[in-house]
Amino acid sequence: MQNPVEVLEFRLAQEKYAVESQYVREIHPLKELTPLPCTPPFVVGIVNVRGRLVPVLDLKKFLDLPEKGLTDLHFIILVRGEDFEVGVVADVIVGVRSIAVDTLQPTLGALTGARSEFLKGVTAERLVVLDLGRVLSNKRIIVHDEVES
Amino acid sequence: MKWSVGTKMGAGFGAVLLIFVIVGLLSYRSTTQLIGASEWRQHTYKVLGQLDAVLSSLQDVETGQRGYLLTGDEKYLEPYQNGLGKIDASLKEVRRLTVDNPRQQSRLDALEPLVKNRLALAKETIDVRRAGSAEGAVQIIKSGRGKAFMDAVRKVISEMKSEEDELLQTRSAETQTNANRMQWTILVGMLVALMLGALAGFVITRNIARPLQNLTAIAERITVGDLQANISSNGRADEVGVLAKTFDRMTLSLRTMAGAAEEIAAGDLRTSIKPKSANDVLGNAFAKMVQNLREQTLQLIEGASVLSTSASEIVASTTQLASSATESATAVSETTTTVEEVRQTAEVTSQKAKGVSDSAQKAAEISDKGRRSADAATIGMNRIRQQMAAISESMTRLSEQSQTIGQIIATVEDLSAQSNLLAVNAAIEAAKAGEHGKGFGVVAQEVKSLSEQSRQATNQVRTILNDIQKATTAAVLATEQGSKAVEAGEKQTEDAGESIQKLAGSVAEAAQAATQIAASSQQQLVGMEQVAVAMESVKQASTQNVASARQLETAARNLDELGQQLKHMVERYKV
Repeated sequence: MQNPVEVLEFRLAQEKYAVESQYVREIHPLKELTPLPCTPPFVVGIVNVRGRLVPVLDLKKFLDLPEKGLTDLHFIILVRGEDFEVGVVADVIVGVRSIAVDTLQPTLGALTGARSEFLKGVTAERLVVLDLGRVLSNKRIIVHDEVES
Repeated sequence: MKWSVGTKMGAGFGAVLLIFVIVGLLSYRSTTQLIGASEWRQHTYKVLGQLDAVLSSLQDVETGQRGYLLTGDEKYLEPYQNGLGKIDASLKEVRRLTVDNPRQQSRLDALEPLVKNRLALAKETIDVRRAGSAEGAVQIIKSGRGKAFMDAVRKVISEMKSEEDELLQTRSAETQTNANRMQWTILVGMLVALMLGALAGFVITRNIARPLQNLTAIAERITVGDLQANISSNGRADEVGVLAKTFDRMTLSLRTMAGAAEEIAAGDLRTSIKPKSANDVLGNAFAKMVQNLREQTLQLIEGASVLSTSASEIVASTTQLASSATESATAVSETTTTVEEVRQTAEVTSQKAKGVSDSAQKAAEISDKGRRSADAATIGMNRIRQQMAAISESMTRLSEQSQTIGQIIATVEDLSAQSNLLAVNAAIEAAKAGEHGKGFGVVAQEVKSLSEQSRQATNQVRTILNDIQKATTAAVLATEQGSKAVEAGEKQTEDAGESIQKLAGSVAEAAQAATQIAASSQQQLVGMEQVAVAMESVKQASTQNVASARQLETAARNLDELGQQLKHMVERYKV
């Protein structure tokens, strides 16, 4: 195996996804989610993780992925950006595994488009590996909406 | 003789009575005389007694004197003193009794001085002796004066006694004569009275009893109905003659009545009898009888003609009756046959009813058993219901416990999810540690694998539990349905029990009714047999009836002939 990278595999709406574990801080069950008004649709709400308030994002909505079936949303994956921390919802956490970066194939036509920039590639088992660094550095993620009262 | 019967009888009995009165008077006088004579005899005996007493007293004096003289003892003077006291009284009595007899009085005059002298002598001797001179006293006695005095006294008393005896004899003879004469008088008087009475009786019998006997004989003949006797009064004007004339008139009257009766007997009712007075019972009765006979005979004639007609009608009716009786007898015979058939039918019915009754009894017994079974079924259903309730409770508990198991499984699942999460986090941490975290990563991988196994096991348990819960739910539902079914079954069993109960009651009633029917049928059979016997009797009676009707017809014919004869007989009466 060449250039192995540790990834955290999880499932969301019957799709298998994986993120690089270097960005993952910990996994937490999704509890006491408080919806937050005046936020983009991909912000599901905020949760309290050991005294810290963490916003929770839905990657599917963020990446404009097609909605396929119902989601379970049992877990949040706490990921760390440069100066902030967000939670990403997941249905099932499969586990940590190592994959070779070389074996990643370019994204399929279905994922081409505006959002393909956030994907690293797809393994032979159709595991979509997200490029979390780009996601977290994207400006959209900084919410700055003003609600006129 | 123109004397009446009473006068004749008075005269006869009067003569006899007169003679009896005369004889009675004579007897009375004679008896009075006898009483007087008896008194005189008594008087004489008294005089004799007193004379004896004087003599006895003197002897007493003498005895006392002698005793004293001999002994000188005063005690021997007691008879002397007694004699002295009595002598004077006796002498006085004799004088009183013989006062009507001068001879006896003169003798008494002689006796008294003698007695005095004797007493004086006695006194003298006693005095001498008392003076002490016994010799002197003996001298006095030896003088013989005392004896002379006593002899004189004895002589006088003896004379007096003989005088009295003579008097007694004279008076006795006189009394005897009187009595004899009286006897004769009574005898003769009795004979005369007897003869006179017999004569009077004969004459009265001759004059009264014989004509009365004759009349009695005639009355006797009249009593037996012989009215032909002739009665003659013989010209007597007394009661007997009057009686004879009255008898004659009575027989004449009776003869007239007899003649009238003979005419009536001959059938001539035209005679009219006039009663001789208002009290003529026989005449009145005869007149009434003739009147009544006349009316009755008229009615009789009418009646005889009606009877004759009726008898003819009766003959016609009895002929019809006889033929009807014959028809009736035939009908009765047919009825008897029918009744016999009905009786046989009733017998069959009775037997059938008996069979039905027996079957009903068996049915009643079976229904009783059914009732008991129904009761047992009810009890069984009740037990099933209780057991179903217990099952239901158990199922509920089972359901609750599988719920609890579900909760425990959830907890275990949660634990497995958390340990999985922990394993993932540990793996992440191990990855962060790089080369140093490799071993930790293996451990995390193992933990993850364990959690995965436990999750799978939990999933299997859950699957099984789900199956169990499903099965339990189905069982609970089945139990509920079973409970309901049991309740329904219980209710139905109860209904069935009630129905069987009612059925048993009905069957029992039916059995009773069947028994009653059998009894009634038996009674009916008995009744029918009685009816058959009765019908037989009716048949016999009917046969007898026919015979009787024939006899009746004959009798009616006889009656008809009798009516004709009666009509002829009644026509003989002249009214």
